[in-house]
Amino acid sequence: MEKTPIIEVQHITKKFKGLTAVKDVSFSIREGAITGMIGPNGAGKSTTFNMICGYYPPTEGKIFFRGEDITNKKAYEYTSMKIARTFQIMKPLKNLSVLENVVASCYFGHAAARSQHEARERAMDILQFTGLYEKRHVLSKDMGTPDQKRLEMARALATKPELLFLDENMAGLNPAETESAIELIREINKSGVTIFLIEHIMQAVVSLCENVIVLHHGEKIAEGTPEQVMNDPLVMEVYLGAKGGKDHA
Amino acid sequence: MSVNEKAVRAYRRNTIICLGGILAVFLLIPAFVKNPYTLNVFILIFYTSTLSMAWNLLGGMTGQNSLGHAAYMGLGAYAASMLITKAHLNPWLSGILGMIAVGLVAGVIFYPCFILKGPYFTLVSIAFGEALRQFIINSAFFGRASGIGLPFGRDSWLDFRFGSKEPYYYVGLVMLLLVYLVMKKIERSRMGYALRTIREDEDAAAAIGINPMKYKIMAVVVSAMVAGLVGFFYASYIRYIDPEMMIQAKSTESVLPAVVGGAAFVEGPLVGGLIMVPLSEFLRANFSKILPGINMLLYAVALLAVIRFRPAGILGWYSHSKLKTFIDTKILKKPPIEVIEEVELARRQRKEA
Repeated sequence: MEKTPIIEVQHITKKFKGLTAVKDVSFSIREGAITGMIGPNGAGKSTTFNMICGYYPPTEGKIFFRGEDITNKKAYEYTSMKIARTFQIMKPLKNLSVLENVVASCYFGHAAARSQHEARERAMDILQFTGLYEKRHVLSKDMGTPDQKRLEMARALATKPELLFLDENMAGLNPAETESAIELIREINKSGVTIFLIEHIMQAVVSLCENVIVLHHGEKIAEGTPEQVMNDPLVMEVYLGAKGGKDHA
Repeated sequence: MSVNEKAVRAYRRNTIICLGGILAVFLLIPAFVKNPYTLNVFILIFYTSTLSMAWNLLGGMTGQNSLGHAAYMGLGAYAASMLITKAHLNPWLSGILGMIAVGLVAGVIFYPCFILKGPYFTLVSIAFGEALRQFIINSAFFGRASGIGLPFGRDSWLDFRFGSKEPYYYVGLVMLLLVYLVMKKIERSRMGYALRTIREDEDAAAAIGINPMKYKIMAVVVSAMVAGLVGFFYASYIRYIDPEMMIQAKSTESVLPAVVGGAAFVEGPLVGGLIMVPLSEFLRANFSKILPGINMLLYAVALLAVIRFRPAGILGWYSHSKLKTFIDTKILKKPPIEVIEEVELARRQRKEA
C-alpha cells in the first residue's frame, strides 16, 4: 500500500471568462521527491501552479494536501500548512535589505519566530545556506536576477516548509548559474523538503526530477520519468512540431 | 573586554548622549522662551508631527495613502469634547474613550474599503473624511457648524486646563515621544515587517503567510487612534472645535511632514514637522501682510522643491549622505556594521551558555 501523496490534484479546470486555460488535469506529488511540470508557453503551467498555491481557486476539481481538501484555502494560509512558493516574476521587497526580506518571512508561517533575535538568527542561517550572506545589507532591488531568484527561495525557506513550489526559478540564468541553482535545489530536497517545480530549462528538469508532467493547451499529455516523457511521441510532436513538419512551416 | 566590544559600547554611549542632549534642549526651551507665540509654534510642531506619524504608519509603512486623517483627528476631538461637555467625564478618561471610539469607527468603516487598492483607497479616505464633516455640520447634537467650546476655569491637571502654554508644551512633547516609541516598537515587530511586506507586494506578503486584510485593518485602527489622540490634545489646547478642522486641506497637512521628512522612516514626520511647521508660520507672519496668500504660494514652492530634488525626503537623502558618514564616524564613532553584528552574536551566545 503506497503512502498518501503529499499533494493530489483531481480533475482541476480553470476558466477565465470564455477561455479554458486548464482542462481536467489530475496528478499527484510524492512526498520527498522532486516533481516537475513542463510544457510550451501558454500551456497552462502557471495557471495550474497558481491554483495549487491558492492564488485563485479552480473552476472545477479538487486539490488535496495529505488527504485534506485545500481547494479553497487562501494563499496566506499555506505557510501555516508548511507549504511555500516562489514567484516566476520575482517579488523581492524592493526597498528592504536582503536580510530584512528574509527576517520578514521568519516571522510568519507554522514556525513563526517569537522574537526579533530568533528571526534574525534564523534569517542569517538561511542566508548562509542560500549563499546570500555576503549581500545581506544590500537593498534587494539593487541585486541582479540570479540573486533575486535566490532571494525568492530564501524567503520561501524561511517559513520552514515541508513542500516547496518553485515557479521557473532558473529562467534567465546562464549555464553556470543554472548549475549552482540546481545544486541548491538538490540540497533543499536532501534536507527533507518535497519540491514541485515548473521549469523551461530541460537540463534542470532531467537532472533533478523523479517524475515529470507535461501540459499542452491546458491538458496533461504525458507523465513519467524524464526519459519516458522525452521519448513520448506526443511530447516530441508538441515540442518539435508535427511529424514531417506539416503544421509548422 | 575586546576592542570591538569597547567600540560598540562607546558608540551606544555616544548615541545616547546625543539623543539625551536633544531631548534636554526641548525640555529646557520653556524655561528660556517666554514668548507665547513661539511656544505655540512648538506645540503646533508637536501635534502636527504626531498626527503625521499616525499618517505615516498607514501611508509610509503600509503604503495605503490616506487623505482623511483630519477626519480621524476631528472625530477624536469631537468624541472627547462631547464626553466632557455632555457626559461630564474627566477629560483624560474622555480622551482615552475618544481614541477607542475613533479606532472602532475606522476599523468598521475601512473593513470593506480595503478591497480597494492604491488610488481607490485614497479616494474613499477623502470621501469618508468629507462625509463625516458633513454629518457633523448637519447634526444638532454635535453643535452643527458653530462647534463645541470646552469649559474654561482654574488651572488644573485633573481637568487638563491651563491658562499658560507651558503645560501644553510638556504634554505635547510627552505625547510626541510616546507615539514615537510606539511607532518604533511597531516597526521592529512582526506587525512592522508585515506592514512593510504588504507595502512592497501584497502577493508576496500572502505567499509567506501574511493576511493582508488583517494587518491593514490593524494599521488603520492604530493610525486612527493616534489621530484621535491628537484631536483630543488639540481640543484641550484650543478649547474650541468646529467642523472646519476636518476639511481636506487639514488632511493634507498631516501628510506633508512625513513626505518632506521621509515617509520610509519612523523619524520622517519629526524631521518634516520641525521644518515645515516653522516655515509655514514664518511665511504667514512675514509675507501675508505684503500680499495675502503669498505665504501659501511660497510654502507650495518649498514643498515642490523637496519633492523634485529629494523625492525620498530629507532622511532619504541624509541616510546616503556624506553628512551621515561624518556624524557616524567622527561624532558617534560608529564601528562597521559587521563589528556590531559580531559583538551582538557573541553576547547572545554568552547569555545562552
